[in-house]
Amino acid sequence: MKKTILYILLGLFVCTNLFAQDEESADVVEKDKPVRFAWESGMLIDQQTSHIPTVKTLEMVIQHKFGSIDNGSSDLWGIYAPAGNIRLGLNYVVANNVQIGWGISKRNMYNDFNAKWTIFEQTRKNQVPVFVTVYANAAIDGMNRDDVELFNFEEPGQKFDYKFNNRLSYFAQLIIGRKVTNALSVQGAVSFSHANFVPQWHDHDRVGLHFNGRLKVSPQGAIIFNYDVPLQIDGISEQHPDWNSTNTPGWDGPYHPEPNLSFGYEVSTSTHAFQIYMGNSPAMLLQDMMINNNTGIDFDNFAIGFTITRLWSF
Amino acid sequence: MKKYRNLLTLSVVVFVGSLLLSFVTVQDQKDPAPWDVPEKYVKMENPYAGDESLDRVGKILYIKHCRSCHGNNGEGDGPKAASMKTKIHSMTAEAFKKQSDGVIYYQSIIGRDEMPNYESKIPDEEDRWALVNYIKTLK
Ligand code: HEC
Repeated sequence: MKKTILYILLGLFVCTNLFAQDEESADVVEKDKPVRFAWESGMLIDQQTSHIPTVKTLEMVIQHKFGSIDNGSSDLWGIYAPAGNIRLGLNYVVANNVQIGWGISKRNMYNDFNAKWTIFEQTRKNQVPVFVTVYANAAIDGMNRDDVELFNFEEPGQKFDYKFNNRLSYFAQLIIGRKVTNALSVQGAVSFSHANFVPQWHDHDRVGLHFNGRLKVSPQGAIIFNYDVPLQIDGISEQHPDWNSTNTPGWDGPYHPEPNLSFGYEVSTSTHAFQIYMGNSPAMLLQDMMINNNTGIDFDNFAIGFTITRLWSF
Repeated sequence: MKKYRNLLTLSVVVFVGSLLLSFVTVQDQKDPAPWDVPEKYVKMENPYAGDESLDRVGKILYIKHCRSCHGNNGEGDGPKAASMKTKIHSMTAEAFKKQSDGVIYYQSIIGRDEMPNYESKIPDEEDRWALVNYIKTLK
């Protein structure tokens, strides 16, 4: 498991270095500016884009996902359902293409502290062919956990002692994006998620792939889509592939999170981006989505949601 | 009962009053004073004058940042225009087009009072001039 992680990190390091050399040589040849209007917002549904506003801009993010649509008109397709998730966030651009942020989600009262850095921007003359962005966050589960009654596997008979450490989870992502045409921008990303505390049998670590994009259909409107796939890598899984209910009492796994598909429409103005979408994962925090999503891509699981960003510049 | 009737009358008065007031403010838009543009801007050369490759960029920026107040064709009739205290003049007028590119740049990017500043939202010089070029083409 440790080895795989090491390889991934090494891979990232090599990648970024390759690009670094690219840019240095580009500098010598001719100054080439970043492409315009690849994205309208730093958010794409629940995901990040390589877009970071100008320095000293404060961005407010409001994300809201309603309940799933499966109850139909009885709860207005989930809009009036008690379930649902909300995240309120603030991001601030501290330096050119570097942003830090903080958000609180309704689900598990996650407090997340995040940072995003767009290392390279695709340029107009293609001297840098892609956007390269890294994003990471650390989150604290803020629920009242005083009364969790859990089985203590290490010391059966003792009560499980839920410590602060158990509240922490992490997410790190490398995003490669490209504005393909004036209308179409796409991104691919690889991520690593870790949670200190997961349900019995579940994995603490998860590698994931992400694909998303934006297709402009009018000056201010665009179709947006996003697909997140948690990978099943036996090498880093704590679940043994040979486990079954006979040789492992209590086992009815395997427990693997489901992918998340979402699609919607974005309208943007000078200071706002408004995205309305449908998606199958109730999670918003990305590690929560990659580790805990158990609602598959099934029509009944889809929920309506929106993401709004508002900018203030200082 | 009487108390409630009074309350009702009061709310009707307030409601009708504010409705009337809202009409008053619309009519009350003040005419903008002449722009006091610093020398540095008046004399500024437009390095991208006539650069047609920027037409698309200027249009996108205009639609994104300016249309809500200045309207689709720069007539000053965008949805937000009515709530401004200052009247927005048409950018299609001769008097407007007669100004130097530097002056239009100053009005567009630096702004004043209700005309917002766009220095941080449109950071790139080339984009700013693309916008100036575009609003000069509005008919
Ligand atoms: C919030 C509404 C609003 C937005 C958005 C806005 N403007 Fe204005 N603009 C005004 C108002 C109000 C005035 C008149 C202000 C004054 O003269 O004091 C004005 C005046 C101007 C003038 C001077 C016009 C004249 O006839 O003298 C120019 C040029 C201008 N704006 C360009 C722009 C550009 C370019 C954008 C987009 C980048 C933009 N404006 C966005 C409200 C707005």
